[in-house]
Amino acid sequence: MTPTDTRGPERGLVEIDHVAIDFPGKGGATRALTSTALRLEPGTFTAIIGPSGCGKSTLMNAVGGFLAPSEGQIRVDGKPVAGPDPEVGVIFQQYALFPWFTALGNVKFALRRLGLPRAELEARARAALAEVGLAGQERKYPGQLSGGMKQRVAIARTFAAGPKALLMDEPFGALDAQTRSRMHELLTQVWRAHRATVLFITHDVDEALVLADRIHVMSPAPGRIVETLDLDQPRPRSAARFDEVQLAARARILDLLRGEPERLAA
Amino acid sequence: MAVVEMMTDRRPPSVEPASEADRPGVAARLPAIGRTLAGPLRPAISLGFVLALWAGVSASGSVNEALFPAPWTVVEAFMEMAAQGVLAQDLSVSLGRAAVGFLIGATLGVVVGLATGRTKLFQILLGPFLTLMRPIPAIALVPVAIVWFGIGEGSKHFVIAYTVFLTVWFNTHHGMQYVPEIYIRASRSLGASRLREFVQVVIPAAAPHIVAGLRLGVALALLSLVAAELTGASSGIGYRLQEARQYVRTDRMFALLIVLGVAGAVVDQIVHRISRRLVHWEQA
Repeated sequence: MTPTDTRGPERGLVEIDHVAIDFPGKGGATRALTSTALRLEPGTFTAIIGPSGCGKSTLMNAVGGFLAPSEGQIRVDGKPVAGPDPEVGVIFQQYALFPWFTALGNVKFALRRLGLPRAELEARARAALAEVGLAGQERKYPGQLSGGMKQRVAIARTFAAGPKALLMDEPFGALDAQTRSRMHELLTQVWRAHRATVLFITHDVDEALVLADRIHVMSPAPGRIVETLDLDQPRPRSAARFDEVQLAARARILDLLRGEPERLAA
Repeated sequence: MAVVEMMTDRRPPSVEPASEADRPGVAARLPAIGRTLAGPLRPAISLGFVLALWAGVSASGSVNEALFPAPWTVVEAFMEMAAQGVLAQDLSVSLGRAAVGFLIGATLGVVVGLATGRTKLFQILLGPFLTLMRPIPAIALVPVAIVWFGIGEGSKHFVIAYTVFLTVWFNTHHGMQYVPEIYIRASRSLGASRLREFVQVVIPAAAPHIVAGLRLGVALALLSLVAAELTGASSGIGYRLQEARQYVRTDRMFALLIVLGVAGAVVDQIVHRISRRLVHWEQA
C-alpha cells in the first residue's frame, strides 16, 4: 500500500531469545514468565493464547520495550530491543487514542516522525483512515467514535508509523462479537497489505484460529509455552467455517487451557 | 462557588470508558423534575427563597435595622454608590488587581507545576516546600507584602498572585502525575521525541487538571482580593468595605458583599465556559 517500502527481505524478524521475566515483590521476586524462546518469522502472524495472569501480556510488554527482561534478550531484525521503538507498533485493548486529537490528528501524530511535507502528511493520514473504512470521519474526536471505530483509528495510526513488527494485546476484547469479527476481516486485510510481523495476544480461541499462522498456548503462571500449533488455511477465514484441522486445533487448545499444567508438562 | 466541589472532584482521568453507554449527558441522569429545573431557573429559585426570607425577617421588625439592613435599604445603598460612580470604579479597580495577580500567579503556577510534576529534581527541590506553604492564608501575608512592596499596587498583586500560584501549582503538579501510562507508551511506540511527547501528550493529558486549577485560581483571586486590599488601598471593593465599616454603614457593606458575590459568580461562569472549550474532550 505505502510506496516507502525500502526494507530488505529480513523485515520484522522477531527473536525472543530465552527471555524470563521476574517481578520484584515482598520476600523475593515472582517469576511471571519462565524462560521462553520464540522466533517470529518476518511477515507471519503469531497468536499467544493462555489463561489470564499467565504472563502473555508481560511477554508482549517486553517485546514492546516497556519492560526489560530479567534474563535473555529480544531482538528485532538482529537489533536488541532497548525501549519503545516505532519499528515495533503496539495496539492496545484500551485503544490509547489521544482524546484531544481528532481521528486524523491521531494518525498524523504517528506520521510526524517521518518528516513529511505538510500536504503529504495530510494525504497519508487521510489514506490511512480510508484504508480502515473511516473516510469522512477524519474530524471526529475519539469520544465521538464507537469502540470499533476507535480501534480502527488505532490500527490506522499504528500501521501509519510503518512498523516492522506489530504487537496486539487483546485488541478486540472490549468489542461485541459482531464488531469483533468485522475487525478480524479488517485486520487481516490491512496486515496483508502492510506485511508486518504480528504478535497477537488473546484468550479467545476462535480469534486465534481465524487470524494466526501459528498459535502458542501458554500455561497458567508462571507462564510457559506448552504447545505450538501451525495453521495454513487460506484467508480470510471465518469461525463459522472451520475445517477439520481447525476444529481439532480448537478442541486441543480448549483442552490445554482447561487441563492442569502438571499433566500437560508430561 | 464551586470551589470545594472542584477540589474533591478531580480524579485522574480514566482512559476512555469501555462502552459509549457509560457516558450519558448529565441531564439524562436527572429525574424529570430535576431536568426541567436544570436550566437557568434553578439559581433564581434559591435566590428568590433567601430574598423572601430576608425580606420577611426585616419586615417583622424583630432585628435591628442598623445591624441587619432590610433588602430595600441595601438596594438604596447600592443605588447611592452607583450614582456616585464609586461602585463602577471600585469594581474595575478590584477586578483589574485580581486579573493582574491571577496572570502572574497562574503563569508561575503552571510553569512550576509542569516542572515539579514531571521532573524528579524539581519535585524533590520544591514539592515539599510548596506543600508546606499551602496552608498559609493570603491574609497572613499582608504584613509581609506591605514591608516588601509598600502600600502600592505591588503588594495587592503579590497577595493575589501568591494564593493563585499555590493552587494552580498544586493542580498542575497533580495533573502531571496522573497522566495515564498508556498514553506515554503509545506516544513512545509511535516514535515521538520526548519534547513532542511532553507538548502533545503529557500537557494535554494533564490539561483537565490544569484547567480545573486555573478555574480555582480565578475564584481564589477574587477571594483573596479583599485581603489584598487590606494593604492600605484607597479604592476597590475591599477598601470600600473598610470605609463602610468605619461609618457603620451595614447597608453599604451588604451591597458591596452582594456585588462581590455576583461578580465572582459571573467571572466563574465565564471561566467555566472557556475551560469547557479548552478541554472539550473531557466530558464534564
